[in-house]
Amino acid sequence: MSQPIQTSAELNPRSVANKRDKRKLLEAIRMALEIQSPTIRRNTQTFNRGRYQATALLPDYDALKDEARRIKETSIARLPELIEQLRKVIEARGGQVFVARAAEDAQRYVRSTCTRVGAKLVVKGKSITSEEIRLNHVLEAAGIEVAESDLAEFILQVADEQPSHIIAPALHYSRERITALFKRKFQTELALETGEELTQFAREILRQKFLHADVGVTGANLIAADTGTLMLVESEGNIRMTSVLPSVHVAVVGVEKIIPTRREMAPFLELLAASGTGQLMSSYTSFLDPPIGDAPFAMAGKPRRPREFHLVLIDNGRLRMREDAVLRETLYCIRCGACLNSCANFQTVGGHAFGGETYSGGIGGSWEAGIGKLENARFSELCTGCSRCVNQCPVRIDIPWLNENLRNRLNREAGESILSGALTTLTSAPEADERSPASKLFFGNYHWFAEWGSRFPRIANSLGHSRLARWVLERSVGLDPRRKLPLFPQKTLVSAAVRTDGNCAADAVARVALFPDVFTNYGMVERGLAALRVLRAIGADVVITDSLPEGRAALSQGLLATAKEFVQRAASLLDTQIGRGRDIIIVEPSSLAMFRRDARHLLEDSAQFERLRTHTFEPVEYLTRLLRHLGHNPQSVFDVGRSPVGTRLFYHSHCQQKTIGAAAATEEFLRAVGFDVVSSSVECCGMAGSFGYKKDFYELSMAVGEDLFDQVRRAESETAPRALVASGTSCTEQLHAGMHREVLHPIELLAAILRD
Amino acid sequence: MLDLAATFEKNAIDAAAQVRRICAGAEAVRSAVEALTNSSSSIALGASEFLPGGFVDALRDLPGLLASPTDDQLARAEIGICGAFAGVASSGSVCVAMGPPLVTLTSLLMPLHIVLLMADRIVPRPRDLFDPACLDGEGLRRNLVFITGPSATADMGPLVRGVHGPHRLQILLLE
Repeated sequence: MSQPIQTSAELNPRSVANKRDKRKLLEAIRMALEIQSPTIRRNTQTFNRGRYQATALLPDYDALKDEARRIKETSIARLPELIEQLRKVIEARGGQVFVARAAEDAQRYVRSTCTRVGAKLVVKGKSITSEEIRLNHVLEAAGIEVAESDLAEFILQVADEQPSHIIAPALHYSRERITALFKRKFQTELALETGEELTQFAREILRQKFLHADVGVTGANLIAADTGTLMLVESEGNIRMTSVLPSVHVAVVGVEKIIPTRREMAPFLELLAASGTGQLMSSYTSFLDPPIGDAPFAMAGKPRRPREFHLVLIDNGRLRMREDAVLRETLYCIRCGACLNSCANFQTVGGHAFGGETYSGGIGGSWEAGIGKLENARFSELCTGCSRCVNQCPVRIDIPWLNENLRNRLNREAGESILSGALTTLTSAPEADERSPASKLFFGNYHWFAEWGSRFPRIANSLGHSRLARWVLERSVGLDPRRKLPLFPQKTLVSAAVRTDGNCAADAVARVALFPDVFTNYGMVERGLAALRVLRAIGADVVITDSLPEGRAALSQGLLATAKEFVQRAASLLDTQIGRGRDIIIVEPSSLAMFRRDARHLLEDSAQFERLRTHTFEPVEYLTRLLRHLGHNPQSVFDVGRSPVGTRLFYHSHCQQKTIGAAAATEEFLRAVGFDVVSSSVECCGMAGSFGYKKDFYELSMAVGEDLFDQVRRAESETAPRALVASGTSCTEQLHAGMHREVLHPIELLAAILRD
Repeated sequence: MLDLAATFEKNAIDAAAQVRRICAGAEAVRSAVEALTNSSSSIALGASEFLPGGFVDALRDLPGLLASPTDDQLARAEIGICGAFAGVASSGSVCVAMGPPLVTLTSLLMPLHIVLLMADRIVPRPRDLFDPACLDGEGLRRNLVFITGPSATADMGPLVRGVHGPHRLQILLLE
């Protein structure tokens, strides 16, 4: 038997920072849910809203992202050469450059620099890279006082905790908890009951540190190889003080921060501020060519030393990451935190659970794996692949894809069990996925179980709900017993649909093929039938294809070989239909998103991917285009008066549907038909495919869902109830679990109100 | 044509800076600064290379002005005054070019920072200062800081203005 999980009161976040052992991950989730969650939620969601608002104000937001991406790609491609160019520029100006291969090399260099100048006090600006190399610990061991001057870092130093966010490292601390912490640690009688009082308290301590520091240590957001310019973004003024007041300035900078020219810093100015804190510009954005010419600051009695500048470039695994086709993407990261703030799981537990010893959130796993060991990235399990971060990343990193690859690598290291061997044989898993854990093979091959269950639905449904079977499923593959299993239908969509031969009727308004995705074919059959009914009513010629797994489930479990095999087979099936002049309709958004987005990594033929991307549609999205093309008003086709659930709706779109741009159409269409629609604004419902079905993550999944349930309750608070409408299969399950009410798909509702 | 000064003013105020638009002249500058200070203030004055020389000369005998301050005096001073290299309309930022005496410290150490900005040095967006054709390409050569409102933090719970850097940013926009 494993040891019982510790209660949160006993936990110091440091003790669960490394999650090589899965138990630590579970302890950290529990700690975060019990203690930190409300504060994290408030702070990340404030950042998230701010980012949407600020980026909307940038008229060239997409062009800026493209430009930033291109610059980062070039920089990493030219990195070794840029390092040498930068070295020459800085040295010609009288500065020193040290390239640290490992964290220890950097520690040694900074420590010896500090001891050489006789430093007693080092003041630090915010630098997560210095956290990565554990610099404070090394300097303190050498008898040097280290003062963290960013207020969040100051809190963490007092509390001895690791950062919980890439740009707001103490984001998990509420004002009340900071008050309690300061009163306890500083033994002060001061009230410290407001943000102003706490700020003033810390400011007075730190002002003395700035004025008397011997060495200032900063990071840098970017550094230009042609001029040696550091770009430093902040809001408190501490980084300015740290970089200009002490006579010795040490900048600890990851090598990936180097870009070719100072001019190319331009697109990052607004992009970083908007993506990070949701501002048009942060309070201070400095561009320094150190050593700067200003005289160092020296209070009376302190000798005025000449300025020194040391650039410590950190490799620590980065040059190895550069050679890794997947992890190389991580080096484009400009550390804005947008992927953290837009992530529903991160918004609920923050970076002490969804993070490692230094880095956190969606991108954090790749950082931890790249600079350390693969097992350190185990927390990336909390990336559900919902993809909400994808469009938020200012350098267009496909973060879910990185995490699916990490999962794939972790799967291979898991070691085979009897059960995983059996599942491999049953599902005919490709060789590369053979050794994956049983739970991954089970959830990744859902279609196999669904297909068998649908052959004998009565038996499968009663078995699936028996206590014994649920106990076995819980113990063997980690399926949470509190989750209701979907019922297998008496007839699959394929067998229930009236097959047509596919010949185009001469007067058809459109030619389409409905792809019966696994979730619709073996579960939500009514949705598929409704799509057929609506499209045919408008005069479209619709055929239904065979049902095949498209690889979504496998991809989300990191079974990349399986996903590749499946999506290639499904792609060739759909491509044939496209070749016959048909557009493809897919009801389940996660399946649709495979062809619109994820398949780019898995299909070898990029022209085929492009055909699929441009010819696959969500049903209501397609309806919108079709009626517009025909010049029909939606109200001439649908009669809202016939609605069996009234005209007031609460609509929740699917996370991946939002990412591929297929969500807004449904909302607009329902309104155009005459419904009164309130939409959810959550990033994801928390179920996220199979994530919420796993017993390890059930509590987290429900806690994420609470935001959605709360929005439903608020939409209904002062008025009558609203009918619940959702586009995703797992969102439907989650909404049902939270609200205990029927949930309709938009197409089902539309099919019910077709005019004769 | 877009009124850059008006856009600048609106966005600077949104960023919690204070803006006064005054007539570009030594007298007007002097009286605007006097209105913001008093005889007991301790004031540090930085060089202002992007303003007509007379504007700064008119401030030299301001009551409370530290003639050639020591670093200890600077650490205690209450008001810092310097000229801006440029302004940015879209964000309401002022851009200060470091290097000349006391510009860095007057824009950083004192609780009140008064910055003098010539309206004809306002550019539409931050990135314009990285264009070699803009303001003689000086933006690509100098140590610069874009200052957007007073220093701020959200680390202690609610948003607090006034952290390590100035608590108040007063922009005198000279037209």
